[in-house]
Amino acid sequence: MDQILFALLNGTIYGLLLFMVSAGLTLIFGMMGVLNFAHASFYMLGAYFAYTLQPLTGFWLAIILAPILVMGVGILVERFILRHVHEHGHAHELLVTFGLSVVIAEMIKMVYGKFAVDYRVPAELNFAAFSLSGIDYPFYRLFMGGIAVVMFIAIYLLLTKTRVGIVVRSAIYRPQMVEALGHNVPMVFMGVFGIGAALAGLAGAVAGAFYTTNPNMALELGVMVFVVVVVGGLGSMGGAMAASLLIGITNSLAVGSDFRIADILTWIGMGGWAEEIGGLLTMRMSSLAATLPFFIMLLVLVLRPSGLMGEKE
Amino acid sequence: MKYAPLLLLVTVAVLIALPWLVSGSMLNAAVQMLIAALFAMAFGLLCGQAGMLSFGHAAYFGVGAFAAVHAMNAFGGEGLLPTPLLPLVGGATGLVSGLLAGYFSTKRTGVYFAMITLALAELLHALAPHLKTVFGGEAGVSSFRMPAWGIGFGSLNDVYFLTLVWTLLCIGLLYLFSKTPLGRLALGLRENAHRLRFLGYNTHALGTLIFAVSAMFAGIAGALQSMNIEAANYVVLESHISTAVVLNSFIGGVRVFLGPAIGGAVMTFFGHVTSDLTRVWLLYQGIIFVLVMMFLPRGLVGELVERIRNPSGEGFARTLSTLLARLASLAIAAFGAVFLIEFLQRVLSPEYRAGVTDGNWPDIALFSYDWAPLSVLPWAFGLGLFGIGIALVTMVNRRVAARKEAQA
Repeated sequence: MDQILFALLNGTIYGLLLFMVSAGLTLIFGMMGVLNFAHASFYMLGAYFAYTLQPLTGFWLAIILAPILVMGVGILVERFILRHVHEHGHAHELLVTFGLSVVIAEMIKMVYGKFAVDYRVPAELNFAAFSLSGIDYPFYRLFMGGIAVVMFIAIYLLLTKTRVGIVVRSAIYRPQMVEALGHNVPMVFMGVFGIGAALAGLAGAVAGAFYTTNPNMALELGVMVFVVVVVGGLGSMGGAMAASLLIGITNSLAVGSDFRIADILTWIGMGGWAEEIGGLLTMRMSSLAATLPFFIMLLVLVLRPSGLMGEKE
Repeated sequence: MKYAPLLLLVTVAVLIALPWLVSGSMLNAAVQMLIAALFAMAFGLLCGQAGMLSFGHAAYFGVGAFAAVHAMNAFGGEGLLPTPLLPLVGGATGLVSGLLAGYFSTKRTGVYFAMITLALAELLHALAPHLKTVFGGEAGVSSFRMPAWGIGFGSLNDVYFLTLVWTLLCIGLLYLFSKTPLGRLALGLRENAHRLRFLGYNTHALGTLIFAVSAMFAGIAGALQSMNIEAANYVVLESHISTAVVLNSFIGGVRVFLGPAIGGAVMTFFGHVTSDLTRVWLLYQGIIFVLVMMFLPRGLVGELVERIRNPSGEGFARTLSTLLARLASLAIAAFGAVFLIEFLQRVLSPEYRAGVTDGNWPDIALFSYDWAPLSVLPWAFGLGLFGIGIALVTMVNRRVAARKEAQA
């Protein structure tokens, strides 16, 4: 029972982290129609910036400065690269950001090497929050979840309760009208792109210390974020939230499970046959955990192609 | 374009004569180039003609590669088919897996399609290490080519001709495919899927079919690859293979028929040539891709074809001199940028950093000079060349614009 509780908690926190990255992606897509392939690269940049700054400024300042730096990178990308290719269409913008993700990953490899760097949770945060039946639960996980929750409340309030939020939301639906009313829409786009990048950077700065910080982290998380977005429905914040939590929780439940497909088949008397076939049928759920999100995605595609909360195409 | 058939004939003749013209290492590179060209053509069918952007084509390449290796090992090493026909096995496996994956991915269009193809490829990549019987675990599956039809298939020349025949045959088939009704419908799918549906076509089935055909040719390319190295490892399922085919095809230009093939061959060639010179070839490849996307959205071959079809009307000499001026200034900028990147790479490399002892930074040899990393000189040299090159390009562009304005 306690194990399941731990798995649920871990899954929720991983889901919140996924949401932190996919929220920015969805926001940018909803607004500019651009699927930013380099979004997960901003997550990686956040982790590496924080790792570099940590010895100079200490952990706290590093996780504040790193997202700001990533925001700067994001703004530069939007202003000087994306805006330049805007006239060639959305597919082109997607391709350019794809190229950027390659360039960023290769630069990281050049500067920091191909292997994981030693970016760790600072000692003052490395303690157990509580323990259940003898197993300690790390405080840092709760800290990550807390940051994510605080972030969402802030963004939600910003978007719904402030004047800036009204302009941003209306720029999503009627950019020309908003421009006619005298607002600088390209500036708004740049700001949203920057904020989205900063969010991903913050997620990276915080999570990089807990998970590993290596040049592959962008791809690994990026694929998960895409799965989240397909399952949730691109452009829908609620869908992104639901899908992030769903994938986070199923993932961490599967890691701790010994379940095999062959076990089910044993009930109907086909256990022996399944053992003979081997392959997928006798693999433990725990080793399949990494592939589970993809199966969820395929299932959603068959049953509800537009995603859990997406609009019909 | 009236010289196109002649140009094609000359190219084929050179390709046939190649084993007598170049060294063994170059011939090996040529095999890689042919495979990359075929793979890029398969990708180009899906992406250029049907407008579906796949980020996971390594999956079908890899599936074809493994199928061919298993077919080579079948019947105790006898082989399922005679060696020259083995790519058929790769193609068939690619077709079947393409039908399956295509069914799911073409349920959505546009960016969703791109994300699904990526996720499907990652699914296979995550699954492969666990399925040892199929994918052979860490070591992979190895095999060897059996002699068939009186040909030994032991020498590099034989492998080269096998690859050449299959690549040319497949590119020819792809050309014919683009002329069939299904191939024409692919263009319709790209331009206006809504209208196709309105006309009564089943766009999902159509997309799945085209996806499967593309996967089939990718599978053949994969089979040729594993027959060339006589092994397959799940590394072929990794994302950098998918990335490379996207970059190569778009650098060449996906909207012109042979664009992807030329892009694939040229980039593989440069990758082979520079592999001894630089450790960051992939970085250059990425940068070239971003630049091509920003400034030559049709791709290199696409731009060339466009220029030949619609001459600027300034006369041959003028056009040539502008082109040369642009290329020369770009070369200066590129040299500056390459110098900076290479210098930075050497300063940051672990071997160099290990050699730094209490503030003593040894000199770095680059382009047959020694440079002190702490002095301003190397940085100023690189940045200066880069700046001069960019300034020259801007100047040429301004002149051309001014001339156009004067004409109008």
